[in-house]
Amino acid sequence: MSDVLQAAPLDADSAAPQPVVVEARSLTKRFGGERHLFARTPVVHAVDGVSFQVRRRETFAIVGESGCGKSTLGRLLLRLIEPTDGRVLFRGNDITDLSGTPLRRLRREMQIIFQDPFASLNPGMTVEQIIGEPIALHGLAHGAEKRERVAQLLRTVGLQPTYADRYPHEFSGGQRQRIGIARALAGEPTLIVGDEPVSALDVSVQAQVINLLEQLKAQLGLTLVMISHDLAVIRHMSDRVVVMYLGEIVEHAHVDELFDTPLHPYTQALLRSVPASRPDARRERAALSGDLPNPTAPPSGCRFHPRCPHAKPLCSEARPPAETLPGGRRVACHFWRDIQHAGSSPPLAAGPGAKLAERLALYRERQTGAAR
Amino acid sequence: MNRDARRPVLSVERFSLKFSRDARAPNLVDDVSFEVREGETLCIVGESGCGKSVTALSLPGLLPSPPALRVSGAARFDGRDLFTLTERDLADLRGNRLSMIFQEPMTSLNPAYTVGEQIAETIRRHRGATRSAARAEALDMMKRVRIPAAEARVDRYPHELSGGMRQRVMIAMALANRPRLLIADEPTTALDVTIQAQVLALIRNLQAETGTAMVLITHDLGVVAEVADHVAVMYAGRIVEYGTVRALFDDPQHPYTIGLMGAIPSTGRREGALVTIAGAVPSPEQMPNGCRFAPRCPFAVDRCIDEAPPQRPVGGEPGHDEESGASDTHRVACWLAPLEIHARGAPPSVQQAAA
Repeated sequence: MSDVLQAAPLDADSAAPQPVVVEARSLTKRFGGERHLFARTPVVHAVDGVSFQVRRRETFAIVGESGCGKSTLGRLLLRLIEPTDGRVLFRGNDITDLSGTPLRRLRREMQIIFQDPFASLNPGMTVEQIIGEPIALHGLAHGAEKRERVAQLLRTVGLQPTYADRYPHEFSGGQRQRIGIARALAGEPTLIVGDEPVSALDVSVQAQVINLLEQLKAQLGLTLVMISHDLAVIRHMSDRVVVMYLGEIVEHAHVDELFDTPLHPYTQALLRSVPASRPDARRERAALSGDLPNPTAPPSGCRFHPRCPHAKPLCSEARPPAETLPGGRRVACHFWRDIQHAGSSPPLAAGPGAKLAERLALYRERQTGAAR
Repeated sequence: MNRDARRPVLSVERFSLKFSRDARAPNLVDDVSFEVREGETLCIVGESGCGKSVTALSLPGLLPSPPALRVSGAARFDGRDLFTLTERDLADLRGNRLSMIFQEPMTSLNPAYTVGEQIAETIRRHRGATRSAARAEALDMMKRVRIPAAEARVDRYPHELSGGMRQRVMIAMALANRPRLLIADEPTTALDVTIQAQVLALIRNLQAETGTAMVLITHDLGVVAEVADHVAVMYAGRIVEYGTVRALFDDPQHPYTIGLMGAIPSTGRREGALVTIAGAVPSPEQMPNGCRFAPRCPFAVDRCIDEAPPQRPVGGEPGHDEESGASDTHRVACWLAPLEIHARGAPPSVQQAAA
């Protein structure tokens, strides 16, 4: 299949690739191994030798199931935790060993939005204090000017400026996530990492926040790193995707390539696990067997081999190298070429039926009419 | 088996409930009716606060009263009304003829007993089996829910198992006495997507084997598309749309159902921005008088704000099921359905703005 190997442009708008904003070079993070009274705590290989580059104005997604190391990776990128090994580069500068004032200055440029809007806002602070804190911290504005900035940020995320004097408990989950976004925007960052930013929200509110993030990204020229377990959210929002399994990247591709022709057997299994989009798309599927192995004792060779339907002896012996395909796509599987034709490609998601499509069009029409 | 010949296992009629003795307080479950037949799955779908879990918990008598107060309605199961049973009768039913599975298996399992003991306990409690017979049956159930190395895991404590394995234990326990009805409240929501696929397939296969009827509560339309026979869409305590799963997905009628479907990102090619439903679910204090969705509905007209729409049949095929009423009939509670006929033309808000 030659179209699989075809280069997908990294940026559709311009011929020249955008500059790299943040880069991971062989990033590794291990937890544990500390000496306690009688024994050492087990070592968890949370992130193991991960490399990628995120380019300006793109949405870069990190996808995987619980325990795959995606959140740890996000925190490593932001220097919120220290890597055991490897480097982090921000706009070409090595920031791995940065500390003190330079690190604080850097924090302004890179921000994070957390999953749980109920846990990530200080309940004792007003909205103005929450959003105003980074503004004051980075000396961006004071007094009346700062208040005006807070009001402006609230408007930007679709909240009324009069909410500034309220406390977090007075808001719904969706509104709190908007406050979290306003706070992340306060330092005028270039990079925002969203760690499952919409996972805790109800469907209708989730759509509002996704649309808001996309609109802000376009408006402010932001670079987004989206960490999520939700494949549909990833497909909808991102330009490029890395798929993680037990601390390693198994596949790295342009979003359409990944969803249309997944190459790694784990990516294929993930996509097959997504529930049908319509009842007529139901099918018997070969569900992936087994659970995630214990991360303190990852399997030898390819970490996915105990669950892989295509595993061969080599897979338990040698760790597959990440092979780079023309166009920059990468896959870490010994046998991806053979598997590609094994008939295991995921079925395409069915689009809406004719009546739903017609009524959805009416819905959108009415909504924009009412909003104007 | 001919589907139409199956009798309803559970039939809920005009159930209303509130959390206040104040006569003016709105019903938080309002005039809800549905039925489930043998071997079938009814999905109740909606967002937080729509009343789906409250409805599910009321049926087996798991909602403390007070504060919950049943205003009206009956729930016929096995020839009796669940709402009028004593606590003792309910305790005999639960885990026996009627079982439940909840979202978080860790909080529903007792951490002080092995999973084998807990499954065996339900068998002994309801069937008076001997200790060794119950244990053998517990092990058999664990194999049937495809827990690998069940012989080793039967003596494990809940915390020693993964989330997916714990949910399997819950399913084994719920199905141990071959219930006629299974109520599952978000059974896969806490699970990873590959584990969710395993658990959904498992529930579906076991259901086909045992003929258990199931009420599945979920917020996830993907799960609905995957397992439902019938669907009830709930919003702010009311069923706004009801029908077969095909009717719901091919011919959704209520603006809330339509908005919900447009709000979900797809794993297919991207098609522009998501549809959003403006605003948020109303709190009990500010429950609208007319249609409860009206304040968020882009189609709402004056009548919607003043008068709650009743459920009425829609769609091409009327109920063809004469024996057991019209449970296949696609019903919607909206004055303007179908929208392409009743809601054409310029939006009212635009007309007002122009005037």
